[in-house]
Amino acid sequence: MKKNFREFSVLAALLLLLALMAVFTPNFFDPQPLLSRMTAAAPRLILACGVALVIIARQIDISIGSLFAVCGTCAGLMAAAKLPLALAMFASLATGALAGVINGALVAGLGLPSIVVTLATMVTMRETLRLAQQGVFINLPPAAQWFSLPMRTGQFAICAIALAILVALSVVMRHVAVGRFIYAVGSDAEAARLAGIRPRIVTFGVFVLMGALAGLAAVLNMVQSPQVDPNTGRGMELEAIAAAVVGGVSVSGGRGKLWGVFVGLLLLVCIGPALTYAGVKPHWERAIQGVIIVLAVVAEGLRNRKVAGV
Amino acid sequence: MKKVFARHESALLALLIVELIYFTIAGRRFASADNISNIVRHSVEIGLLALVMTPIILTGGIDLSVGSTLGLSAVIFGKLWRDAGLPPAIAGCGAIFAGGICGLLNGALITKLRLPPLIVTLGTFSLYRGLAEALTRGVDAFTNFPDSFLFLGSGGIGPLPTQAWILVAVAIGIWLIVHRTILGRSFRAIGFAPEGARYAGIPVERRLIFVYTLAGLIAGLAALTYSARLGTAKADAGFGYELLAITAVVLGGASIFGGVGSVHGTLLGVAALAVLNNGLTRVPAVMNIASELSGVLTGALLIVALSLGALPKQLAAWRARRQISGHSN
Repeated sequence: MKKNFREFSVLAALLLLLALMAVFTPNFFDPQPLLSRMTAAAPRLILACGVALVIIARQIDISIGSLFAVCGTCAGLMAAAKLPLALAMFASLATGALAGVINGALVAGLGLPSIVVTLATMVTMRETLRLAQQGVFINLPPAAQWFSLPMRTGQFAICAIALAILVALSVVMRHVAVGRFIYAVGSDAEAARLAGIRPRIVTFGVFVLMGALAGLAAVLNMVQSPQVDPNTGRGMELEAIAAAVVGGVSVSGGRGKLWGVFVGLLLLVCIGPALTYAGVKPHWERAIQGVIIVLAVVAEGLRNRKVAGV
Repeated sequence: MKKVFARHESALLALLIVELIYFTIAGRRFASADNISNIVRHSVEIGLLALVMTPIILTGGIDLSVGSTLGLSAVIFGKLWRDAGLPPAIAGCGAIFAGGICGLLNGALITKLRLPPLIVTLGTFSLYRGLAEALTRGVDAFTNFPDSFLFLGSGGIGPLPTQAWILVAVAIGIWLIVHRTILGRSFRAIGFAPEGARYAGIPVERRLIFVYTLAGLIAGLAALTYSARLGTAKADAGFGYELLAITAVVLGGASIFGGVGSVHGTLLGVAALAVLNNGLTRVPAVMNIASELSGVLTGALLIVALSLGALPKQLAAWRARRQISGHSN
């Protein structure tokens, strides 16, 4: 409990928020809107898990919002051309992984700082998409909706996929050597190298995985609506990073739990509707999100100071 | 080191000249006096932000929140002028002050909590923009500024647009600080080795707070020229400008790891980006997609500049490794 104090305090905040909602706005818990809300958050969960791994490896990826839009458009164009959904899904994952290869090669291969590299790829991908698509929406065939399942089943399927990714990544991070390597590289790349790990390959792999996860998230998002908006994904990188940081992932690398990220994301997802019910105007949402991120960062700074004994 | 500098800046100058020649030949009315003054007018905000980004990058830091600070300052200017009824000059001072507060908060969080500038300014990037949206309820825009204020954005003094004189003054000021004072040298020292700088008696925390606060103040100033140029102040003012400013600094030869860079290099970088951005709108073949194309090229240019900067070091490391393994064989 003491070791994971950060995660448990976020969990406590979430439970408190849910308890308040249960008392004041019980209809928040009506099953159908709740399921829809969770389904809408599923792609974000996948992005947040991916970016959590990137941050644990002491890097950052802010190109995922643009990548999300590129992958979604890619899959959308294929689905609109009546190609099988599985193929569109594969294309989306491959596009994401390819972008991850580029980011990873620049960061791990050339030793460039990930923030500037992904800032550059973020704008390059976004503008290329704007150039190619000119902001035109893609209309999807009905067969692409909810994987051709009934809506409710489709929603369950999307949530199940996202949760499966969360569980799988948590197990890998905790119990599989590769997961431990990511923690090792994030906490001290030189020490990891001396211990026989190859930090560059681990970093490269994390970026490729991040790209593929963004591709998967884009497909899970695409099947939820009858159209693909090529302008989607703006600011999504910040939401994902916020979920990770609020959930206790250390921005200086090497520390963080994926269940914490899950709780952090739920907190951020629930706070919007909670504020609306409480009568706060929606234009405050972004400012409050910003306050939460800064507070999470400050909390970490204070923790680091305490650890350092200053 | 001097030599590397000269080479980098001459390469950039060559790029700028190639751009100018190409657009003069291929573009319509590119080389007219009107258009050149137009380019200068449009590059003032990016120029101001890039100028103050230079000392930050010299110290090995980064500020992703300058664009959002510009937006928040623009909104505060509008609020003070329209809603509080203050004259534009005083409202302008208020906007610059607000920008300074934003920068001070960045600097304080970075130094007092010892957090990476990247994550702090990523957080405030979202916070400041969010506050700007909240203050304007997301839709409100301030317009109908008095002519005396609009003169700042669309008038001219002597041969240059009004706001260009501000850019010139700030450029000279920052150049003198960075290249001719002990203060400026301390930025490089911090960028090379923060611990070493501390042991050498440099008050690292105070220096860092200074560069981030300066960035905030100048972003507030840029908010004024931006609002005066467009005749409107909105919450989305300066969106994406942080990227352009960083690109200009990196193109200008500054190392993103800190310690290396120059103010004149940054100015050349700003000019190269501004000419590219304007030139594309003058070339008939790409006129309709100029904004997207210039975005793609800016991003690609940043990646290429970064890679070219890092490649020699990687090659040297690779050669050294090969030599070591060759000896051991």
